[in-house]
Amino acid sequence: MSKDAAISQSNPLRIGLSTRAVPQPCALVIFGATGDLAHRKLIPALYNLAAAGELPPAVTVTGFARRPKKDDGFRDELAETTKQFSRQPVRDEIWKTFAQSLFYHQSEFDDQEGYQSVAKWLEQVDKERGTRGNRLFYFAAAPEQFEPILKNLKEAGLNKPKEGSWARVIIEKPFGRDLASARELNRVVRDAFSEDQTYRIDHFLGKETAQNILVLRFANAIFEPIWNARYIDHVQITAAETLGVEARGGYYETAGALRDMVQNHMLQLLCLVAMEPPTDLGADSIRDEKVKVVRSLRRYAPQQVGKYVVRGQYTAGAVGGKPVVGYREEEKVNPNSETETYVALRLLVDNWRWSDVPIYVRVGKRLPKSATEISVHFKRAPMVLFNRDSTSLDQNVLVIRIQPDEGISLRMMAKIPGTSLRIEPVKMDFHYGTSFGKASPEAYERLLLDAMSGDPTLFARRDEVEEAWAFVDPIEHAWSQKENAPPLCFYPAGSWGPEEADELLACDGRTWRRL
Amino acid sequence: MPVETYSVGLPVEIGQIDRELKRLWAEGEGAMTRASHINLAVYSEEPGSLARNTEILSQITENHACRAIVIAADPSAERDRVEAWISAHCHISGTGAKRVCSEQISFLLEGASVKLLPSIVFSQLDSDLPLYLWWQSDFAEPMDPQLWAWIDRLIYDSQRWRDFDGQMRLVEKAQREAKQRIVLCDLNWTRLVHFRLAFAQFFDHPASHHHFHEIESGSVVFGHGYRSTALLFVGWLAAQLGWEISQALAPETIDLKNREGKTLRIDLQEREGSAITWFMAHSGALEFCVKMAGCGDLLEVCRGARGENHTHQLLPSGENDPVKLVTEELMRGGPHQVYVNAIEKVRSLL
Repeated sequence: MSKDAAISQSNPLRIGLSTRAVPQPCALVIFGATGDLAHRKLIPALYNLAAAGELPPAVTVTGFARRPKKDDGFRDELAETTKQFSRQPVRDEIWKTFAQSLFYHQSEFDDQEGYQSVAKWLEQVDKERGTRGNRLFYFAAAPEQFEPILKNLKEAGLNKPKEGSWARVIIEKPFGRDLASARELNRVVRDAFSEDQTYRIDHFLGKETAQNILVLRFANAIFEPIWNARYIDHVQITAAETLGVEARGGYYETAGALRDMVQNHMLQLLCLVAMEPPTDLGADSIRDEKVKVVRSLRRYAPQQVGKYVVRGQYTAGAVGGKPVVGYREEEKVNPNSETETYVALRLLVDNWRWSDVPIYVRVGKRLPKSATEISVHFKRAPMVLFNRDSTSLDQNVLVIRIQPDEGISLRMMAKIPGTSLRIEPVKMDFHYGTSFGKASPEAYERLLLDAMSGDPTLFARRDEVEEAWAFVDPIEHAWSQKENAPPLCFYPAGSWGPEEADELLACDGRTWRRL
Repeated sequence: MPVETYSVGLPVEIGQIDRELKRLWAEGEGAMTRASHINLAVYSEEPGSLARNTEILSQITENHACRAIVIAADPSAERDRVEAWISAHCHISGTGAKRVCSEQISFLLEGASVKLLPSIVFSQLDSDLPLYLWWQSDFAEPMDPQLWAWIDRLIYDSQRWRDFDGQMRLVEKAQREAKQRIVLCDLNWTRLVHFRLAFAQFFDHPASHHHFHEIESGSVVFGHGYRSTALLFVGWLAAQLGWEISQALAPETIDLKNREGKTLRIDLQEREGSAITWFMAHSGALEFCVKMAGCGDLLEVCRGARGENHTHQLLPSGENDPVKLVTEELMRGGPHQVYVNAIEKVRSLL
């Protein structure tokens, strides 16, 4: 727990009422407040927190964006979109009170005057609403705006909290597009905000099931002794989407699946699965262990990339019975695009625990179903007794479903009732939605509260981000070579990806788990 | 207007419950998922409790899949009688993909059969799952240690106790005899969760902690029959802020001393309305107020200089009905040591 979080816990009236760090009153400034992220995710998340009584009443939200708008117009727009995107129905009386904490500040991102006036406004907010000088800046703007915003925040002195207060910045991905740009972004951020003021958001980490990975591993004595190369044959991590690039063709052309999903979300999940037990639950203890995993990932030489990494792009096909166009026919996409919409990787973590245990990762768009899950495939039982004379038995597989239908299942072998000895796999299945009717909070709700409480555990640290890029960069370089670049494979929309991805596992005598 | 009635289900012979449950699942229409993460036993001696508790459980199981064991007892009946029924509460899961069902086994015990309670509960438990016992009647001697030894959480509502101290002594005795830590879950305490949260949030920032020593007075407004709820609230403040009761001048006024030895006074006022409708504390020129909002299911909190218009905020208030209270309790968990401390502070007044 950070110092701020510990201080908030010093309220004796909170003992027994709150098991988490209590968020502090603050002024939240959202840069890019007229954009999709603010409308679809951030404001609905804040509303839900307010409705649940989790948001300190003094929290004040100021939207900072270029379009001219008045407070009332801003509130009206947000009321509409919150009704549309909130996970629970919007109650008028709660919205009315909550809306009083929403304000709009019109300014260009590179106009210092706009920052000076927002600084004055925030002081007024401190006096009138009791935000106590605490500032939370949320970068929901386009990445190219980060630098001017940071520079101007610094110039306006908004990066320096007053005595007894704090100033924090939340940065949305992408954290750069390669190691060099990530380092540059981190340098620019560090120039204005120290590392402990910086919260790099990866919404996958805010998901209930992602948080449950650590609980599953370290709160249950049965898993840790077998969570290693001696008992685990391999691990698969899958993030499949039925959607294509939708309206994000322009962005996706500059990113691709490797940068958009693998460098951040997939490696974060991998870290949670592969990390060593932390010494405590402090943010840095956990992040120290995670970063060791990324550092231990075996790097590929350019000539190995084609062997261990498959990139694919969807062509026209059908998803759920509905015909869809190919990637190159999507809006704002180059008709000759080489951008990958699918990646499959065979990874190795070079440490004692994971020695020679392949971790297969696949992400893709326009696949037959949307699902994110981790499956841990255990080694087969020895070839004696039950499987001596017949074909070998299936493996035990532990599946952690991240979304949808969050839960955990374990496949094991059981005898089919009858006089003969027939053994078949059966599944023990735990569904969050079945045992607990209450809906989990959205990832953004949890993460916003954590940032207000000063708990960076679920946010990516600078070295995690840079190490992840250091791993991904050689793959991108290999792909961008003019000669001998590994081929881009194609798969019809609605299939499970290119055949080459199946071969990646087939070489090892394995197959992808059927989802 | 049609009245929805809740059937306790299919009558079964005591020795055939397991077999009949299996048949219930085998013959159920459509795909059903049986789920359970606790054993929830409910005991009541009130007439008509079987149907009422069946209705309550049908709602609780929407959020908490469980093996429900509902017991209606009438120890004073002249004739000994035991009857049993089985049923299932099915709900569409949150994702809308499944029918999730919880089993309910109901018993009617009359006369000397009431003594069979422990054996009935034990024989119907879903193994390896914790046992929560919701005791809806007064506790009475003798407290069977065999039963208490199996309980993980004991749920009761002290608001309905006429002899708080006597009842509490029995609960404590059960705890001692059980030789294990039963978590005490008083729904009268659960009733206060949102009020406590609303008041606690005023002091989250360290800069406001000085008020803990400067609160000089307070007033609690409570509904008819909820004096014990109001006293528990005062007990909570006293326990957490280190106040000691110096004297109770009248039923409606309590004088306390804070850690510095300064006297502060809390007034209790009984009025028409819900359990707790209002709490205001004064500290210097400031007042901190939590009250039920006009809409009835939200709390309004405000802080500011005395007599001025303050910024208002709406927070959830929770609901004062058994389904919501038990659901809240099951969701929160925790050891409830703060509750025990709060009781100790005001036990003499309860």
